[in-house]
Amino acid sequence: MNAPAIPHVEIFVAPGCNRCGRSVELVASLHRELGSGSFAWRRVDVVAELDRAVALGVRATPSIAIDGRLVFTTQPSREKLRVAILQANDE
Amino acid sequence: MEKQYLIGEIGSLLGLSADTLRYYEKIGLLTDVQRSPANTRLYGDRDISRLRFILRAQKMNFSLAEIRDLLSMREDPQHSRREVRELTHRKLQEIESHLQDLTTLRDELTLLVNLCAGSEHGCPIIEGIEQDE
Repeated sequence: MNAPAIPHVEIFVAPGCNRCGRSVELVASLHRELGSGSFAWRRVDVVAELDRAVALGVRATPSIAIDGRLVFTTQPSREKLRVAILQANDE
Repeated sequence: MEKQYLIGEIGSLLGLSADTLRYYEKIGLLTDVQRSPANTRLYGDRDISRLRFILRAQKMNFSLAEIRDLLSMREDPQHSRREVRELTHRKLQEIESHLQDLTTLRDELTLLVNLCAGSEHGCPIIEGIEQDE
């Protein structure tokens, strides 16, 4: 039997973006809190993956997508991000 | 009464030379251009509308022959020939595809501009592009 799919979180960042580091740290911190099986995440450098960023509708950094859907277009609060990830986990 | 324009006025309005306007008439892109009693060409709103259509179509790299067919479709869509309807359909598909490309390009440039504006250390995207070269 396959393990249930977990949400995939992508944080879109760019060089020279001051708030991006804080967003990455926020996601990493939530990952530690909720456990490694709660969601997967990766940091996406928009310079290196411009096509991916544009395809998802990213217009500025930091932005956060969950399961290929752009959910936050600026840094969210810890609580809002936690709720969005948990909701994605339920879907 | 509809305003009428001399060939030089149309040139100024649309950026077309008198020679170009005469040529368009000769090859059938403009039809039934009116003349003054002194036999000077007089252009009306219908001609201006056609000319603007021609200019837009040229920006899409349509040939003059294609534009002439599209103009006939524009003039009388219900009675156009089958080939002209097919051409119109093909051109519509080209435009849709072009629009998609333009939308993607606009989105990319929007992101790049926002990244530059949001950076304290110059423009990371431009630097990234330079490194790729």
